[in-house]
Order: sequence, then structure tokens, then C-alpha cells
Amino acid sequence: MTVTRRALQVLAIASFLSLTGCATIGDAWDSMWHEVTLPEFPAFDEYTETPKSYVEIALEHDFLVRVKPWERAVLARPDMSFDPDALQSARRSHTFFSKEGSFVGGSTGGGGCGCN
Amino acid sequence: MSRARRERRRERATLRALTSSALALLGAAKAGADTAMERVETSYSFSTYSEDELASSKTLPGAERERYSIQTHQASIAGPITEWLDLSIDVTHEKMSGASPWYNTQDAAGTPIQILSGATIDDTRNDIALHANYYTERGRLGFGGGYSTENDYTAMSFGTDGTLNFNEKNTQLSGGFGLSFDQIDPVDSDLYTLRPDHEDKQSYTGFLGFSQVLNRRSVLDGSFTYNWNKGYLSDPYKEVFRIGGIHYADDRPNSRHQFAFLLRYNRHIEETESTIHLSYQYYRDTWDVSSHMAELSWYQNFGDSFQLIPHGRYYSQTGAGFYVPYLPTTQGKLADQTSDYRLSPYGSISFGLKAEYVLHSSWLRDVEWRLNAAVERYHSSGDLCLSTVSVEAPGLVSFTVFSLGVRASF
Repeated sequence: MTVTRRALQVLAIASFLSLTGCATIGDAWDSMWHEVTLPEFPAFDEYTETPKSYVEIALEHDFLVRVKPWERAVLARPDMSFDPDALQSARRSHTFFSKEGSFVGGSTGGGGCGCN
Repeated sequence: MSRARRERRRERATLRALTSSALALLGAAKAGADTAMERVETSYSFSTYSEDELASSKTLPGAERERYSIQTHQASIAGPITEWLDLSIDVTHEKMSGASPWYNTQDAAGTPIQILSGATIDDTRNDIALHANYYTERGRLGFGGGYSTENDYTAMSFGTDGTLNFNEKNTQLSGGFGLSFDQIDPVDSDLYTLRPDHEDKQSYTGFLGFSQVLNRRSVLDGSFTYNWNKGYLSDPYKEVFRIGGIHYADDRPNSRHQFAFLLRYNRHIEETESTIHLSYQYYRDTWDVSSHMAELSWYQNFGDSFQLIPHGRYYSQTGAGFYVPYLPTTQGKLADQTSDYRLSPYGSISFGLKAEYVLHSSWLRDVEWRLNAAVERYHSSGDLCLSTVSVEAPGLVSFTVFSLGVRASF
């Protein structure tokens, strides 16, 4: 299982680095994400013309990005909510709480036995 | 990239922003989810949870191998009371049956094997939870309470949570506090002398969260949760077996501090009409359990009315410091001890697929229906653990969940 473990670690690090813009995985990945992230603000450095990371963009925008109310059509989509199906997430949280040694954070959810 | 091309891109972006602004304004109020609900939403879901039979190599020849199954009915109604207040009620009814892990012993080779509870357990759980939200210009304040009862267990919980908006609603701080008072009255405590007659426990939870809109298509959310469990935290239905024939009670410390750091990231990809949800959680507690959880869900839309959601989840945990598969003959009772597979080191992987169909009924005006069906398969094993597991717990579970649901908003 050493190989699987190593592969998972590499994948996790690579995903994190690509999301923050600190590294890229390859041309295919690059082209896909360039298309996706491009037009909303100057996502390219004015002088070097290299892509900027989210961290750089956030720093330029007074640290916090400001999306105006009229630009929020996508953010208002049901599938952009962190919890699109409350019943399903309640059921899954209770299952994992009952069958695993830890719990899912981010709320003040109630208890239950979970003994069996 | 040339300057001219960049300019063209900017112009196109500006044009798109202007043309979509009218539509966007309609959804703007909902974007931060910080105004009272505008519609009444009801939902119902039925699901079946069934655990795989225990492998014959993991138990004694001829011993009980069938495990747990649960049928769950969930219903929810939520709606506005006034312009600034909304209320939701969730009820759950579950029927559980089957056998569950009791204690471990060893086979001829010295490998731990699992003994399941002999008698079939039949139990039902009923749970009701209420939550009210009060909205102000700056954010939301919520209050909730819940009551859950089983044949041998009752839990009462209360909580308050809230959000504060900053930075033109692009940044949100959230926090909450909750408590739960639980009582357990194990069944057949007169037959099984190791089981207590009556015990109780309390838990106190607090969380702080931070949510940030990164751009028009992505949002990041982080939260830190702390939970303190206090009282009887053992499992009355599990035992620790000493090779040679002595049974001891499952005996865990009566205090447990738990910490979880959860990061979630959602991104919509307009080109493919899909949304990805990524989440990662690091957890650790004072029982020496630490875990990593990573999950990816892909919401793929096909037009306006059909959505397919494949998802995958990986989980890995270390074992509690006092986990023992069994006690060797030379070992006496430990101060704290458990043979519960859920406190052993292991890893798990699960995959699921959900389909959702949206329709608007012609016979009832302005009702939106969402029908969904989902399946999830969960498999756990010592081999999937991030660290090397020398002795795998024999009771590790694999299960399948099927569910059907309907939601209506009007």
C-alpha cells in the first residue's frame, strides 16, 4: 500500500499547488483552468504576462475580493451552496459519526447514540 | 498573451457582466443566504443502509455473520414566518436491525477475529429538530433544539449559531455553540452483568468559521470545531476479551476533547455546466485519534432539469491509544481499553452517484419538484490507512446506501 499512499500524497499536494496557482500539472490542466479563470479580473501579470495565483489576486484587491451583487448569478446557484441537499448531508454526517472514530465539523449538530 | 487580446477579453467580460446583471439581481438576494427564505420547502427521503456480511475468515466457523441494516425516513419543512424570520422542522424515523460487533478473539494463527452479538438487535430511532433564523442587515442569528430517542437512548440538544457579513457580503464570519445531554439505559443489563443500568453523558460544541467569495464562480469556506464529550463515553454493548476466557467491559476515559479543521471549496465551471465541491478535514482528539478526510463531488448539469452528481470520499484515521484487538493471557485489565473497530487504525474509501430531476408541475402553479435517487458504497480496510496497520481490526465495516427523495418548493 506504500505506492497507493505515495500516489495519494502526490495527488493531494499537486491539487493544492494548482489551485493556489503555485504549480501546474500539465498543458491539458493549464489550458482548462486558463479558460475557466480568465476574464473576471486582470488574472495575468501586466509585465511578465504569467498567470496570477488567487493569493496574488486577493492581495491586489485589498486582500479581499469584492464580487458585486449583480455579479452573483453563479454564486446563487443551488449547486454552489455548501449544503445543497440538507437531508442527505444530515444522514451522511450521522452515518460517518456512527461508523467512524471522528465527526464532521462546521456545525453544532446534535448527538445520538451510534452504539451499533 | 498580447495586450490587444487581453483587452478584447476584458471587453467581452464587461459586456457579459452587463447583460447578465438583470438576471443576476434576481438571484443576488439569495447569494449570501442571509435573508429569510422566500418560499416554503418540503422534502422527504427514504434510504436503506445495509452492511456487508462479515467475511467467514473474520469470525469463528458457523458464527453469526449478518450485520446491521437501517431503514431511514426523513422529512423536513422550512419556510418564512415573517420577512426577517424563518423556521425549519426536521424529523427522522429509523428502524435498525441485525447484529453488531461484540468482542474479538483470535484464530489458530493468532489473528484477531470478530464475534458479533448473538441476538438480533431491533431498535427504532426518532429524532426531531427545530431551527429558527432571525435575519438582520448584517447577518443571521439562529436558535435550534433537538430531541432524539431510541429504545435505550435519549438525547436532548440545544444550539445557537450566527453569521456576520463584511466586505459587501463577500466575507462572512460564522460561529456557534451547542450542548447535548444524553442518557443511555442499555437493554438486557440484568442478563449481561458488564452492562451498566443507566449512564449519561454531555457534549459541548463550539465552532468558528470564515467564508470568502474568491470570484464570481468560486467560494472558499473554513471552520474550526471544538467538541468536549464528558461522562459515560464507552459502548455498553462492546466487550474486551482476554484470551483464555475473561470478558471485560469496554472502558474508555470519561472525557474527550475533539478538534476538527474543515476546508471547503466550491467552483462552478460555466463551459461544462458543472460545479465541483472539494473538502478536506483534519481531525484530532485527546484519545490519540487523528484523521484526514478528503471529498470531491462533481455536479454535472444536463440542461436545466437534470443533474448527475458522482462523488468520492477518502478517510484515514489512527487508532485510539487504548485500542487493543484483545488482551493476551499475560495481560490484566487496562485502565482504559476498547476493542471497538471504530477506534482502530484504518482507512476507508467511498463512491456514490446521485441523479436529480427538476420539474415544474402544470397542475399546481409555481411548484418546483426535485426528484432524486442516490447510491453510495463504502469500504474500509487497514490497507487503506495512511500509516501502516500491523494488525487490522476484524470488524471493519463495508456498507451500501440507497436513497430516494423528493423536494417541493412553493
